[in-house]
Amino acid sequence: MKTIVKGLKTTNYEERSKDTDHKKKLNKVMTEKEAVETFLHDGDSFCIGGFVMWRQSESVFREIARQGKKNLSIIDESGTWEGIDLLVELGMLDRIDTAYAITRQVGGISGTPALERGLKEGLPRPVEAGGVLATPRDKVRSDVPPLKIVDWTNFQVSLRFVAGAFNVPFMPCRSSFGTDIPKYNKDIREITDPYENKPLILVPAYKPDVAFISVQRADRRGNGQIWGFKGTDYWKARAAKHVILLAEELVPVEKIYENPGLTVIPAYCTDAVVHLPFNCHPTGCFGCYTVDGINFIALLLQRQSRDGALKWLDEWVFGCKNHLEYCDKLGWEKLDRLAKSEHKLNRIPD
Amino acid sequence: MGHLYTTREQYAPEQLEEMKRKYTPPELVCCAGSRETIDREVVFVGIGVSDLAGALAKLVHTPNVILVAEAGYIGFPSLAVLISPADNSAGAMAMCHQSLPEMFIDQQSGFVDVAYLGFAQMDKYGNVNVSYITGPQVKMNGSGGGGDTASSAGRVVYTVEFNPRQWVKKVDYMTEPGFFDGSYDARKKANLVGGGPCAVITNRGVFRFAPETHELYLAEVFPWQDEKDIEEVRKSFPWDLKVAEELKIMEPPTERELWALKLMDSTSQYIVANVMDRPIGKIILAGKFDLEGYDEFLGLTEKAISEILEFVS
Repeated sequence: MKTIVKGLKTTNYEERSKDTDHKKKLNKVMTEKEAVETFLHDGDSFCIGGFVMWRQSESVFREIARQGKKNLSIIDESGTWEGIDLLVELGMLDRIDTAYAITRQVGGISGTPALERGLKEGLPRPVEAGGVLATPRDKVRSDVPPLKIVDWTNFQVSLRFVAGAFNVPFMPCRSSFGTDIPKYNKDIREITDPYENKPLILVPAYKPDVAFISVQRADRRGNGQIWGFKGTDYWKARAAKHVILLAEELVPVEKIYENPGLTVIPAYCTDAVVHLPFNCHPTGCFGCYTVDGINFIALLLQRQSRDGALKWLDEWVFGCKNHLEYCDKLGWEKLDRLAKSEHKLNRIPD
Repeated sequence: MGHLYTTREQYAPEQLEEMKRKYTPPELVCCAGSRETIDREVVFVGIGVSDLAGALAKLVHTPNVILVAEAGYIGFPSLAVLISPADNSAGAMAMCHQSLPEMFIDQQSGFVDVAYLGFAQMDKYGNVNVSYITGPQVKMNGSGGGGDTASSAGRVVYTVEFNPRQWVKKVDYMTEPGFFDGSYDARKKANLVGGGPCAVITNRGVFRFAPETHELYLAEVFPWQDEKDIEEVRKSFPWDLKVAEELKIMEPPTERELWALKLMDSTSQYIVANVMDRPIGKIILAGKFDLEGYDEFLGLTEKAISEILEFVS
């Protein structure tokens, strides 16, 4: 006799295997270009690892720009914004969920010049920020959809990844009761806790299509080891559909077994491994190289105007075939100097 | 750590005049702010001035405090000012490297005793805006971890350079909860974990919150702030600011505090407001984008850090 259970779906093994195909490989090494081509598609959402100025996969933004992706969305706690602003300048982003945009933090110059231009002039796209600020109506063209910015706190953004990794629809927290963040961001819900009858804030799970995570060390199978602060990285690696590790150092599999405690991203999370030294430049990487302050301030200065920004893009993004050419252009001796400076404080053991 | 108090009478009028000119606003804010911790407390530091105050507390006044930075660094000696909570100088010689959600979970569990934050706008009851300033000049920033910290840290010390425009009747956007409408149980009713703001440290006095009404009042001033100056401060507020009956007189920055401050901020990231006036700006203006420029700039931090390392070890 056939028993019918309503609502029970059989697992579509074919579909599932497509999803996990890359995760099952024993050698996941590819180039950054291949990784972005393979996993990030127009309309996708993505996130990067690290935190402000440190271990942020800035080279990925330059590669995404080169490949001319469209309608992307990004979610980030507090980012460096160097790379995000680049994609804003090119009009590639539809939505940014974030806790922080450094428009007035960099000593009298704007930390997010493209975003500010978008807000004031509607170029290349108008901006709607947090339900509070928007590009003036006379500057908005009806054929160009606005870039939406949605406000969260750092903890809330990170909990969205935690919920995604838990594979549950939301996580509760006790931040920002009674403030304007849940007032304007309707994705944040306030409920009455069914156990204690007290207010509770809920944030929805987030499972980005792709997570790009810079790590100090990885092997071909996709085990990622991180030194220093961990940010939200190992939650991101579990929440995302596809995970791409950008490794400062690619080591033999046996080397990973020497320090298993540092493997915060195990191989089954990972879809691709890219061996890419200095991929965080101009941000720093704990134990590998420090922040390139001179480059960072100089590029911000140049990007304060739209003309300057486009010129910068031509020179440093479209003028370089890949990250290694970018490093060539910058000068390896300067990168080595940044490494030397970091090694006075922190060093990755052999 | 006790607060450092003095009397106006200790100083001759010329001395007061000289002191008034001598110290820059960030110096006053950082040094006064550093006196807010108690030894062995867990201290959450922000970035810039909000980090410097906590770092000075550790270096000068309360050596056993545990500094924490939100990216996941715990118990670091504070070797240089944090531009970011993920800075290498917070990772070096730290007790623990963990993750960002864990850091906030710890805070929500009540492990953080005191937190240092900055703000753009504040109202009478310590509600804070760091997100949007509307008006002719558009400003955006965002909560970062501030919204979480103001919600859950044991108490919050705000450190900020005095600016008449930062005091408002109603904030443009409430990012961080203070005492809401001031009613005595407003935070408890909202189910917030932390105790809320406890002090606002500025270069024109320290403000605190009245125990019952939670209203901001002027509690402490520097020795050179006379009646006229205090009246001017009061006039910057859109409400009738109360002044403590027994107004305390703070000691000006001590030699030790200033020594530590200079070392912590060796590249003048926060002591000098405009980036082009800092060493990095000068290097860029001179077009030194070569190795020589990098040597010069990185050398500044490296030298200061080695001096602090010598001191802490």
